[in-house]
Amino acid sequence: MGAVLVAALSLAACGTSGPEPASTACARSSGKVTLSFWSWVPGMDKAVDMWNAENPDIRVELNAVAGGNQGTYQNMFNALKANTEPDLAQVEFDMLPSFRLQQGLRDISKCLEPDAGDRFIGFAWDQATFGGEGVFAIPQDTGPMAMFYRKDLFERYGIQVPKTWDEFRVAAEEVHRKDPSVYLTSFPQRDVGWFEGLAWQHGASWFNTEGSTWQVSVGDRPTTEVADYWQDLLARHLVTPLQGFSTPWTKALADGKVLTWISAVWGNSTLSTNVPSTTGKWAVAPMPQWSGNGPSAANWGGSTTAVLRGSEHPYEAAKFALWLNTDPKSLELLNRSGGLYPATKDGIELPFLKKPVEFYGGQHIFDVFAEAAGQVKGGFAWGPTMTQTNAALADGFGKALAGDATLTDALAAADRETQTAMRLQALEVKIR
Amino acid sequence: MSAQAAPGDKPLGQSPLASVLPVAVLFTATACFLLPLWYLFVASTKSQGDLTTTAGLWFSDMQFGTNVADTVTRDGGIFWTWLLNSLLYAVGGAAVGTVIAAMAGYALSKYAFRGREVVFNTILAGVLVPATALALPIFLIFAKVGMTNTYWSVLLPSLVSPFGVYLARIYITSSVPDALIEAGRLDGAGEYRIFFGLVIHLLKPALVTIFLFQFIVIWNNFFLPLIMLTDRKLFPITLGLYTWNSQALQDPTLATAVLTGSLLSVVPIIIAFLMLQRFWRSGLGAGGVKG
Amino acid sequence: MSVQTANRATAAATATPSRAQRRSERRAIIGFLAPFGTLFLLFYLLPIGYSFVRSFFVTERDGAFGPARDAWGGLSNYAQAISDPALLSSVGRVLLFGVVQVPVMLIIAMLFALILDSSLARLKRFFRLSYFVPYAVPVVIGTIVWGFLFTPGLGPVADFFPVDFLGDGWVLWSIAIIVTWTYAGYNMLIMHSNLQAIDRDIYEAAHVDGATNWQIALRIKIPLIRDAVILTGVFSIIGTLQLFTEPQVLRSISTSISSTYTPNLLVFTAASGNAYNYAAALSFLLAAATAVLSFLFLKFSERWAQ
Repeated sequence: MGAVLVAALSLAACGTSGPEPASTACARSSGKVTLSFWSWVPGMDKAVDMWNAENPDIRVELNAVAGGNQGTYQNMFNALKANTEPDLAQVEFDMLPSFRLQQGLRDISKCLEPDAGDRFIGFAWDQATFGGEGVFAIPQDTGPMAMFYRKDLFERYGIQVPKTWDEFRVAAEEVHRKDPSVYLTSFPQRDVGWFEGLAWQHGASWFNTEGSTWQVSVGDRPTTEVADYWQDLLARHLVTPLQGFSTPWTKALADGKVLTWISAVWGNSTLSTNVPSTTGKWAVAPMPQWSGNGPSAANWGGSTTAVLRGSEHPYEAAKFALWLNTDPKSLELLNRSGGLYPATKDGIELPFLKKPVEFYGGQHIFDVFAEAAGQVKGGFAWGPTMTQTNAALADGFGKALAGDATLTDALAAADRETQTAMRLQALEVKIR
Repeated sequence: MSAQAAPGDKPLGQSPLASVLPVAVLFTATACFLLPLWYLFVASTKSQGDLTTTAGLWFSDMQFGTNVADTVTRDGGIFWTWLLNSLLYAVGGAAVGTVIAAMAGYALSKYAFRGREVVFNTILAGVLVPATALALPIFLIFAKVGMTNTYWSVLLPSLVSPFGVYLARIYITSSVPDALIEAGRLDGAGEYRIFFGLVIHLLKPALVTIFLFQFIVIWNNFFLPLIMLTDRKLFPITLGLYTWNSQALQDPTLATAVLTGSLLSVVPIIIAFLMLQRFWRSGLGAGGVKG
Repeated sequence: MSVQTANRATAAATATPSRAQRRSERRAIIGFLAPFGTLFLLFYLLPIGYSFVRSFFVTERDGAFGPARDAWGGLSNYAQAISDPALLSSVGRVLLFGVVQVPVMLIIAMLFALILDSSLARLKRFFRLSYFVPYAVPVVIGTIVWGFLFTPGLGPVADFFPVDFLGDGWVLWSIAIIVTWTYAGYNMLIMHSNLQAIDRDIYEAAHVDGATNWQIALRIKIPLIRDAVILTGVFSIIGTLQLFTEPQVLRSISTSISSTYTPNLLVFTAASGNAYNYAAALSFLLAAATAVLSFLFLKFSERWAQ
């Protein structure tokens, strides 16, 4: 037994757990290069094939993995720990800080031209560069939000398209009065990203760093106002607590019991796939606004292509990542097969996004989203433990929906659990 | 055991309720136990649209062939890879594990040496340590030597069966006469020859029991491959189907693949198990309590 | 004459072995033990030791995104674990689960074993096999299928019973249903095998004394298969405390299973969040608690035996 402990001690002692910070130099590799790339976007293989055909010296091998939150992020962290990570990985915006904390991201600013960032939509580049500290990922797709609504049922119930959140509440009251079994919209317990978008729209700022100290404020004033707003709607049964993307939710949509879905651009195919019986009856309008400082929009989701720490060919990897997310042919392919909405200013103006969409009565829906993309506020940063933060919010929302607490309580709980999780990561953190 | 009335039981017909009720209970229980498998069978014959719209327990239109074709060709035929991996991990792992457990059980049973009981009790304590508590540190150890995400990283830990050693020791102690071993020695046979040539033939029920037990343990070990493996080509079938199942929300067509894949992987195991279960029972019985 | 008796006779009759014989025996002992022993050392003892050692280290880092280093933390991981509300609630949950599910399952297993053992049942083989089949199904797959059964709109179980199987109040017991389905037949088979090994003349004697079948079951059969019940009990307790696969698989369809639902899920979550040292401490605590509880159960049931 003593021998075992000695062996264990020596294993534990040899080597520290973190590697040296990634070098920021960017040397080109000579000869043929093979890059490994993990992604879960359907159709990514075709984009990769397109690149490989045009770039015989830089061959990309795709590993089609499960979704990030379905275990792939865990695998990526494990790979980083075991130094077996791929060259490139798909990382959603809200996970970039976690990866950076684990020293997983490589700063590729020296691999790109200085003005490479100008091509990208403001908030996307802002998050990928951590506010300009370096280029840690190339934005791939974004999720500007708008309101999908049942045009026909709005007419039937005599509702005007609400332009402000006040008007939205009034419309919810109206709908509920006319038919108590019908709701203006649903409040999903587990779509934390949806709620984050709404808070973001109102100017929330949850995570800030001051030197080496983090400041967490999930319960800041804008977020609390958003939470109180929805708490009111829930308490008065003006919205239904159906979980998004669930069978009961799609059934309610098909039956006309839920009239709107405030969602991101990629939600357009969610609706058309899951509620085909309602084709032609939907339309898209901008999100309701808070009165005050000009139109602002929100973002839900979106991901990047990151070059990971151990890549031996950062220049080639950055080159591929940039091509993948800016080349018009690639963007069109990813949009068609994977439903991705571009993150570049030129990309959202491409012809394939200018077509009328039959499911939405022939509306040019992407024009609405393009406008929203330009209105998403910069300066919203994610934290390095979003998995725990999101889990705490979802659990807290669950309690609120069950009537045991309020949404604002969920914010406070999320603050506390985030602080615990961040302290586990040996970070200094204060709740503001 | 035959179904005739055994001596010592009350004659039948004593009370009609007494004879009908147990059977009714048994049948109801059978329905409950087999329900999920029946559902699995029915569901894998349905198309994706029919899954949600038709009654769960009866067929609609037969799409079984299409579903099977879709399942085995999806993602470049990775379903076959997963099945073969499971064969490697579970059958290979359990087979080798059984042999080495039997060897260890033999040593602990038939040879006296100082510290024998300490060794045995340590191994026995290992039975109480659950595989999930070991998965994380095993991962960390493999990470240190850079061997995560390899076949060995799942196979090697699967070869260890402390319970197998325990069973082997008990069985050997109670079923292998020393006289046999002595006779072998007198004939001039070496120790290994005695074990592999003579003793092992007596151990068949125990070997099958240990094999089946370890097979199940490896089959059901989810935590270890989950944190150890990142390359889908190394996944066992359980991890593969789990991955598909987690993506089913985004890609509803996966539901039929998951169900069909589950059926295809489960049927051979059930058949094998039913064929081998008599070995398993007699092996456990011999090692268990005598009345 | 049993093998043991014969062995004793052989031992008495055999002459003491020679030196060469003993040397070759020693080599054989090492040879037979080595394969298992090395692997046991590497994959049982070493990981436990490593987990134990790692649990005394904490992580430190500089700056908002600086690299992490390990530093000696003494018992701080353990202190944190004991006051971790997530750990406490997950432990409470599995204890509640265990206190209800294990006895229920063992009673069901015993009931069916007894019914099958009596001649009142025909088609014994058919029933035995059909209860055993779920055990042959890998837990992951079984849980996936039950997940479908519990989903409204997809599964007959969810549609038939007016219960939200995957919702907050019920999901723990839905997991209990899955666990019972998987293991009841297996436990029943163990008990039944042991029942079959009992000499039936005992029953005849009891009948002569005027005992009913019920009394025979309670007073004779159950006590005689005591060891089998204890064995299944211990393994069931170990399994309950380790609950991981069923909740993890159901997480993708149930919004009520948090990332810290059971202690093992908490370990997995901590490891996923790269808090490896804390996860190691939790792992070790869990293994120790399991061992202690199993040991206590064994001791307690030994007293029952008296």
